[in-house]
Amino acid sequence: MTALGTSGTLHLKSLTKRYGAFTAVDNVDLQIQRGEFLTLLGPSGSGKTTILMMLAGFQDITSGDILLDGRSIVQTPAEKRNFGMVFQGYALFPHMSVRENIAYPLSVRKRPKAEIDARVGEMLELVRLTDFAHRLPNEMSGGQQQRVALARALCFAPPVLLLDEPLGALDKKLRVEVQAQLKDIHQRVGTTFVYVTHDQEEALSMSDRIVILQQGRIEQLGTPSDLYQRPRTAFAASFLGKSNFLHRDGATYALRPEKIDLSPAGKGSNANLVSGTVLSVTYFGSQLKYQIAVPGMEAVEVDVDAWRGGGTMAVGADVDLSWADAAAVRLDE
Amino acid sequence: MIAPARPALNPGWILVLPFLLLVGALFIGPIFNVLWISVTDPEPGLGNYTALFTSGSLVKILWTTLRVCVICTVISVILGYCIAYAMVHAAEAKRNKMLSLLLVSFWISVLVRTFSWLMLLGRNGVVNNGLEALGIISAPIGFMRNELGVLIGMVHYMVPYAVLPILASMQSIDGRVVQASRSLGATGAQTFWRVYLPLTRAGVVAAALLVFIINLGFYVIPAVLGGGKVLMVAEYISVQVLVTLQWGTAAMLAALILFGVLALLFLMSRFMKLGTVFGGAKA
Amino acid sequence: MHDKQFMRETLLEGAKAFQAGKMERRSFLALCGMAGFLAPSVLAGRAEAAAGEIVMWNWGGQSEECHTSAIGNAFTAETGMPLKFDTSGPLQGKIKEMVDSGNVTADVCDADLFDAVALGKTGHLEPIDYAVVDKTKTIDGYALEHGISIILYGYAFMYDTEAYPDGAPANWADFFDTAKFPGTRSLYKWANGSLEAALMADGVAKDALYPLDMDRALAKVKSIKDSSIYWGSGSEAQQMIVNGEVTLGMIWQNRGRSIENDTNGRFKLVMNEALAMPGAYIVPKGNPGGPDVMKFIATAQSVPAQLDLFACLGMTPTNPEAIAAMSEADQPYSITSAANMPNIALNDPTWWGENTDAAVNAFLEAIS
Repeated sequence: MTALGTSGTLHLKSLTKRYGAFTAVDNVDLQIQRGEFLTLLGPSGSGKTTILMMLAGFQDITSGDILLDGRSIVQTPAEKRNFGMVFQGYALFPHMSVRENIAYPLSVRKRPKAEIDARVGEMLELVRLTDFAHRLPNEMSGGQQQRVALARALCFAPPVLLLDEPLGALDKKLRVEVQAQLKDIHQRVGTTFVYVTHDQEEALSMSDRIVILQQGRIEQLGTPSDLYQRPRTAFAASFLGKSNFLHRDGATYALRPEKIDLSPAGKGSNANLVSGTVLSVTYFGSQLKYQIAVPGMEAVEVDVDAWRGGGTMAVGADVDLSWADAAAVRLDE
Repeated sequence: MIAPARPALNPGWILVLPFLLLVGALFIGPIFNVLWISVTDPEPGLGNYTALFTSGSLVKILWTTLRVCVICTVISVILGYCIAYAMVHAAEAKRNKMLSLLLVSFWISVLVRTFSWLMLLGRNGVVNNGLEALGIISAPIGFMRNELGVLIGMVHYMVPYAVLPILASMQSIDGRVVQASRSLGATGAQTFWRVYLPLTRAGVVAAALLVFIINLGFYVIPAVLGGGKVLMVAEYISVQVLVTLQWGTAAMLAALILFGVLALLFLMSRFMKLGTVFGGAKA
Repeated sequence: MHDKQFMRETLLEGAKAFQAGKMERRSFLALCGMAGFLAPSVLAGRAEAAAGEIVMWNWGGQSEECHTSAIGNAFTAETGMPLKFDTSGPLQGKIKEMVDSGNVTADVCDADLFDAVALGKTGHLEPIDYAVVDKTKTIDGYALEHGISIILYGYAFMYDTEAYPDGAPANWADFFDTAKFPGTRSLYKWANGSLEAALMADGVAKDALYPLDMDRALAKVKSIKDSSIYWGSGSEAQQMIVNGEVTLGMIWQNRGRSIENDTNGRFKLVMNEALAMPGAYIVPKGNPGGPDVMKFIATAQSVPAQLDLFACLGMTPTNPEAIAAMSEADQPYSITSAANMPNIALNDPTWWGENTDAAVNAFLEAIS
């Protein structure tokens, strides 16, 4: 199953959106590869949804350009862009059955009935809702509705699928499940996915690449492991996972909590070693999370895999913290 | 486990009971009185009702009423739909202004309206005089004192009633649904006919019912703007009660309207939940 | 039906029109009709009648003041009984409702003489006591068992002098002649007067109108239907004329006089072939004030009361002595003055009392 016609390479050139004096999106340059799963990650107000809406054609751009396979699409109205879109809250048509919802993009294109039936059947199977074809959206669970929205958006084989926080309304457990399904579907259809979320776990688990946005600008762009292992800014380091920050030699370093070794005072053995006192410890099943008071620093977070054993350090105990050189990532100024 | 015994009667009913009795006495009582008169005056029997099949003039009056009401309802709902659509899509400050203008029109009395229409569209009204002065027409256009006049006056009165339920149903539409339709390749027109209009159907039905039912009782506008030639059932009932003393005929017509409206509501309730029609929005 | 607020407004507007036109009664028939059938607000606010006083049920506005000054003051001076008012308009339907309900709160109604026939027949009225009331102080034939005519009003017509510069319409035949006098004309919506006018236009002698030949009258009315509109109240009739909606308009003659004055004669009143309508006092069955109401009616027949009513409301006296006592200037506008009398027709209250329902409904069907 492949995208019809266009191949789905997107190029955002100096894309800017202003509302009066407020700049929502500031000079964003971005190449999105065909078939890629790209996530726009950022807090609210970072401009991620605005970028998506400009891609979809629901928002005018202030300046810059959007190219699809090398051709500008900024003058193309939303319905002519042929981008599928999955909305926050799904935006299913409440008066139509699941089948009618999914058939909608084909029926507005006046495709023959046989083709529509075949394609809708295929999509129902893809999202495993064949038995629910005649239900109305409000007779279904959130997760099922989400899958209907996905099937509807993919039904006309768009080269690009835009997803606006599609899992936001699901509970945590269901979300993890649907993430896997979504990833699976992405691999099967080969469509370019542009995915907006503020949830770092979602971003890490599904994306080929992640764009971290802050105040309308690209903070950092890279693969999930790139971004996690080598954050370039304090914002990237703290928004994607947790970080401790060290200030040494006039520079700032990010240090992930799980990369710190914790040992009783006097037992630490490393070039990078500081001493401190346990402030608190919290049990998380797989991990123990410590807060350590270190003189001259903010409270340091340390994660220790619980299975390693070695016992729990008591609150008030004196401890040594140590880490490998490579663990501390020097941040840009 | 023992389930707590439910009291046979919710104590809340006791509080409501006096008012229920009052409503029964003051509202339902007179209705039964009307029904009673319709089968007893001038003599017991169904004579007043069988007159419907023998009296050409009764049929004519009912037909006029029905025709005028249906046309007025259709026009009012279409205009109301357009106004509501414009309001929903206007900026909030502008929308509030539009809403106040709409509500202000509720406070203008029917008499003021009808006489204003005569000033505006009468034979010697502003419009006819203006067109004549401009040489566009040589004889005045007969806007008023005929069925057209009645329709103009009634539509003007009813449009605000049509706007409100439609507005409520439009406001309850999730804007993303419309965006979704566009993103899925539907043109503006397709989106309107296949998504927007169906989602406002409850509002349209409520508006149509409301307008139609109020229309049935219109008196002053047909009486004045119709120039005496558009005789509708409310005016006829009034004449039968006050002038010709044919109370049986009047009561029969009143009962006919009552049951007609009830039948209409019943029919509608078979197609959609009346709760969603009058309770407004269901997302 | 419309809300009560609206009914009140309707009546208020009517009251104002009443005042503005100095006198008007038929318009109130329409306006009260507008207030809706079985309208409770119309019935509300009436004075509670008791023995030792007389409650007059009339049409509100100016008439309350005029009835007090013309009749009430003299009556109170003579008997010591106060005169009170219920101004909600004594339409036949409402009188019937009041008597049937057993809660009679009015002693005398300012109504039409045909109401006396219709409601007398059904037992809703007290007979007039002609030992107290004087049968000779009214027009011949207008002292009936259940009511006596105290004043007269009448149906005449007006025309726009600018529309017909070459020759004025002079009678109902001209009024119905759309070839000779083109233009829209207006008739009264509820048959009364319109039927008589049609018959006179069709050549029926004015003293041979009754019983009305309905078929002939309706055929004549229908013959000008395309260029006719119909009014239901005096103020509406006036508007149709002064707003130029019609060039020939039927009108109550007293209102016509004020239009003629207000427009400096642009619209001219034609009294020829006017139909005199007897306005009557009738007494609801079981009236609370009892037989004393007859003294009140007798007072209303006195010459000063009659002349005062004419001055105040424009109603023509019925007492021959009062007619004779009118001034030269007033004579042309008094329907029954010596000069007008040979040219006018007299309404037959008996025919109307017995045929109102059929006549009104047939007329409504013909025009709608």
